Amino acid sequence: MGAVLVLTPVIIGSWPAITAAVAGAASAMGLIVSETVKESVKQDQSDTEQNVELELSDSKVLAESMTTDQEIVLTKGDIELRVKRDERGRCSVCAKGTGHSQTELKQIAEEFTQKLTQCFVYDKVMRELKNKDFQVVNEEVSEDESIRIHVRRWMD
Amino acid sequence: MAQHDVEITISKTGEVNAHIKGAKGKSCLTYSKWLSEIVGKIKNQQLTSEHYEPEIKARIDLEQNLGIDE
Repeated sequence: MGAVLVLTPVIIGSWPAITAAVAGAASAMGLIVSETVKESVKQDQSDTEQNVELELSDSKVLAESMTTDQEIVLTKGDIELRVKRDERGRCSVCAKGTGHSQTELKQIAEEFTQKLTQCFVYDKVMRELKNKDFQVVNEEVSEDESIRIHVRRWMD
Repeated sequence: MAQHDVEITISKTGEVNAHIKGAKGKSCLTYSKWLSEIVGKIKNQQLTSEHYEPEIKARIDLEQNLGIDE
């Protein structure tokens, strides 16, 4: 046996690493990346447009590789998600859309942040496993959307 | 040659469950530490019978291989 452990993810990465995970999460959820870099511009918000912002509390976007006000804009129908680095250096996701309730938008933003976290962790784990010469024995996605990876290595 | 297996499950929410097999003695803790450096905080950890089996110099070699400082 050995050990069984449960780990809570902490997202610490450069903007390109976050961007890669955002692209993976967007693809999985059928979101389209409409803009990768955007100047932060205050936009007029109509009365019927709702807005929800979620912050990934255990996250830190390393700033050296990005310019200020960089963000990624994702769309699906009339829903827009914006992923950006906030003033405290954390990753935040803002969902907005006309004709959707705050609850609906919060649910979409939460679903996206979970998928983003899963993609980020997957990318990082796989990169480190390959760096340490682990061989992938099996990899599958379960019905509950979890990713199962079985790796092996031989030690002298 | 010792076979070390790690079964990793990344849940829908990003939480990671890892089962380390084949690493005897404190070697499995070396893997735990390495995984926590990659993923994040250890929420729960259970040692299994293999942890209490004698380790040779394998742990020191493993630490050097994974680049972990004791």
